[in-house]
Amino acid sequence: MIRRVNWWALTKVIFLGMFLIFTVFPLYWILITSLKPRKDMFTVPLQYWPKHLTLENYVNIFEISNFDVYIFNSLLVSTVSGLFSLMIAMLSGYVLARFRFRGKHQIIFAFFVTQMIPLFIALAPLYLLMSKLQLLNRLPSLILIYTVMMIPFCTIIMKSFFERIPPSLEEAAMIDGCSRIGALLKVVVPVMLPGIAATFIFAFVQCWNELFLAVMFIDKESAKTIPVAMNSFITKFDIDWGAMSAATVLSVIPTLILFAFAQKYIVEGMTQGALKE
Amino acid sequence: MLFSSLFNRGEENMKMETKPTPQPIFNISKHGMFILLCLLPALLLVSIFIYYPLCKGMIMAFQNYSLFDLTNIRFIGLQNFKSVIVNPDFKQALINSFYWVFFSLIFQFMIGFVLALMMRKKFRGRGIYQAFVFFPWAMSGFLIGLIWRWMFNGQGGVINDLLLKMNLFDTPIPFLADPKWAMASVIMANIWYGVTFFGIMLLAALQSIPEELYEAAKMDGANNIQQLFHITIPYIMPTIIATTLLRVIWILNFPDIIYAMTNGGPAGSTHILSTYMLEKIIYDQDYGQASAIGVIIMILLSFFSIFYLLATKFNKVGDF
Amino acid sequence: MRRARRIFTLLCFWLLLLGMIAGCNSNTNGNDSKNEKNNDVVTLKMIESLTSPSRTKLLKEMIQKFEEANPNIKVELISPPLQSADEKITQMLMAKEDLDVLEVRDQTVKQWSNNGFIEDLSRYTNNWEYWDSLNDAAKHGATSIDNTPYFIPYGIYQKTLFYRKDWFEEAGLEVPKTWDDLYKAAKALTDPSKNRYGYSFRGGAGSSDYVEFMTWAYLGDKINPADGYFTKDGNPMFSTPEAKQALEMFIKLYKDASPPDSINWSYPEMVQGFTSGMTAMLIQDPEVINTCIENMEEETWATAPLPKGPESRVAQQTLGTAGWGITSYSKHKDEAWKLISFLSHPEQNLYFAKNNSLIPIHKSAGEDPFFKEGYFSSYIEMNSKPDEYLIADRPVHYKGWGQFRATAEKDIQALLLGKSSIDSVLEKWSDYWKKEKEQQNN
Repeated sequence: MIRRVNWWALTKVIFLGMFLIFTVFPLYWILITSLKPRKDMFTVPLQYWPKHLTLENYVNIFEISNFDVYIFNSLLVSTVSGLFSLMIAMLSGYVLARFRFRGKHQIIFAFFVTQMIPLFIALAPLYLLMSKLQLLNRLPSLILIYTVMMIPFCTIIMKSFFERIPPSLEEAAMIDGCSRIGALLKVVVPVMLPGIAATFIFAFVQCWNELFLAVMFIDKESAKTIPVAMNSFITKFDIDWGAMSAATVLSVIPTLILFAFAQKYIVEGMTQGALKE
Repeated sequence: MLFSSLFNRGEENMKMETKPTPQPIFNISKHGMFILLCLLPALLLVSIFIYYPLCKGMIMAFQNYSLFDLTNIRFIGLQNFKSVIVNPDFKQALINSFYWVFFSLIFQFMIGFVLALMMRKKFRGRGIYQAFVFFPWAMSGFLIGLIWRWMFNGQGGVINDLLLKMNLFDTPIPFLADPKWAMASVIMANIWYGVTFFGIMLLAALQSIPEELYEAAKMDGANNIQQLFHITIPYIMPTIIATTLLRVIWILNFPDIIYAMTNGGPAGSTHILSTYMLEKIIYDQDYGQASAIGVIIMILLSFFSIFYLLATKFNKVGDF
Repeated sequence: MRRARRIFTLLCFWLLLLGMIAGCNSNTNGNDSKNEKNNDVVTLKMIESLTSPSRTKLLKEMIQKFEEANPNIKVELISPPLQSADEKITQMLMAKEDLDVLEVRDQTVKQWSNNGFIEDLSRYTNNWEYWDSLNDAAKHGATSIDNTPYFIPYGIYQKTLFYRKDWFEEAGLEVPKTWDDLYKAAKALTDPSKNRYGYSFRGGAGSSDYVEFMTWAYLGDKINPADGYFTKDGNPMFSTPEAKQALEMFIKLYKDASPPDSINWSYPEMVQGFTSGMTAMLIQDPEVINTCIENMEEETWATAPLPKGPESRVAQQTLGTAGWGITSYSKHKDEAWKLISFLSHPEQNLYFAKNNSLIPIHKSAGEDPFFKEGYFSSYIEMNSKPDEYLIADRPVHYKGWGQFRATAEKDIQALLLGKSSIDSVLEKWSDYWKKEKEQQNN
């Protein structure tokens, strides 16, 4: 018996260790590259630890671009869009989970189908629409469009979370004199907090990484986001790996922190979704 | 209803469950206004900013809509679909799409599943471990493609360098230059990116399995493997089905990695439908044909979803 | 009562959302009208497409000078990332989004003029004192479509040969004059064990350009310069025996003297290969000169004129041009022209060309020592011998041009992998262009 446990533990350590190397190595490589001077990046033999440690790439990205502005914009856009889509998805997810009414299946179906749409098919008409509504070139419009993009998935996820919370919870609160919204906010939301956190993180990460819509809808320098800035390190005849790697490291840090803080929530949040009565 | 059952409480309906599923309990007629107001923001926004442009975009699939000459846009029936389908590149992209989705999904799922199984029990440093193994999810597709392309480089790429150092190969492997390796390489990058999703989702599902079930099984003398197949997998089946279906859809619609790594090459050997669609936009500037490919993608995915849900009998799991 | 409150709450939430949308809406209007009415300041919107952080910086600097000279004009520069820039500009034009000055290139000018997106500049150029100071290449580029000036180039892109001077000297090799020489030198310098290859091959995006100018070199003056993919007797150039020789040479270069990975290489990788000391030769645009100066030691590299066809004894390439144009729906065309003429002034253009490493557009620049001597001299040499270094136009005015490039790139990779034969590929391309010509004539 004891031997078997050891074997299991050993395989576990080996697998988890190998997987960690597999996932972290690219990040390590980028980190190392970002600390090398440009001339050392492509020299053979490769340097697995920089011979000339330097922070010039980091200094450089703040010099050639307003990277601090982009970080702020990305944080703002992702946080606000995440919160907005969460709020809207909470309402719709709640109703879809709790009520039976005509057209409900069609609505769920419609939300599901949005996941299949290749972005490019809708891009030209969407641009025209945004232009007509004069919604281009501002951060709030980017927030708006990200919110919309995240609504369907968040709704589907939130619906499944609500379904796992027994309706008796709200009933009790409503008998005590709460309105339905009041019951939702005061009783259901606290129970679902982990699930809500997980959904928010999902939405946040998606918005944080979004590139193409941000390129299309934003013109001015002061409203650019990190992915756009990083994409512009690719020029006609050069990929600026120094700037690219430094920017990658910087852009991963906030999400890494978010993951570390919220990993408990992510896992427990999703568990919440699977929680039974 | 097929789709509405997708993200429903599946576990409650499993055989081992005894409690009745929580049914909608509220009277509808009284709450019509409430329902409407709650759904209104989501519905309105999605219809205006997703469905309206989508419909307009789909109309282009039936038009002669080329940027070369926009003064002459007219309906041409199914001509775009015809020109797309007869092109041998399309056939190749279709076959490649299958490989791309299938192998990406299988490996993402398997690794994600094993990872979830192993991370189910708490161990020291699990929090940090999770943050690190889940971080690929926090990078954008084009960046992942770019980084892997650089690492897979046949001359002076770090992966080749490591393989040579370990004496596994004598000469560098032209990962992205050889069609045989190219597909495997882009799939590798995609696996790296996508394990996280399954890891999170399946780990969550695993943690919802009541411990008593395992204890009961142990009393009956079931070993680890039997427990896996008789308790674990059946219990999280709904999550497995829902997540795999979503991933199939997302992977097929995910041109970023391939576009950055090989741009569909060499010789079209890594083109999938979504990168082929990009090519129609970027090179040919033919929005009509690109839109036709988009419509084909959506039709394929819809058929696949229905077929998949029927085949897995998932519709019976739901309550609608 | 409770129900009313509930509905009220939801309505408030909803209104808030609407308010948010309306908010950004009215803000935009507010700013614009204020600027224009109160101060009589015209704001020009300008977009560039071949962006890079350093070029954007340079442009901004020049724009600042312009704004200082014209206090009533403000310029808002839009710099999208290169990869999606064309897509973005197209969307803006289709939506008639505010835009006054835009970067027009040889690849985009036909499409935009077809759709009526860009303004015919002749009413401005007719009175422009510097029009006649433009060199022939710039004039040719500006009026390449319909003989109408749709844009004023900011520079000329022409290809030249970059080579590792030190390696050539070490191996006792001569600088190649023809493609045969180039092949021999490249092969001699190739040593995979040292990770050293003779030639920075392009097999990825843009590879058809290389087949194009090689075929042109082999065919020489048989090419119809105004209709570059056809010979003077009207046949597609790919149906000639010279095209076959050229393509054979192209494949030999890859197989014998280029890194295997270069089947995927496009512009950045080719340059990277050369500057990082992997490849000995590179054929590219003048922009690379600056990159090489920054990344390589002096005296290790040099430039030379393009290699010639072994029998034709000429080299032939297209003149790449890019420049500034005005949208047809711009409300401030006169101001836009002011900006363009400022940027195209000999002094400004020289500054731009030097810093951006391009061939300048004015004749006077030929006297500048920066271009006359040093790395740019190969261009001067090529331009001084128009009989040996011919110029032809790409068939950008055919509808199928874009699609051909996509198809050709795949066919080229299939050829390099040995998956299809030279004859079948050439036949396919000939048929393609025959059909294009028929459609064009109809």
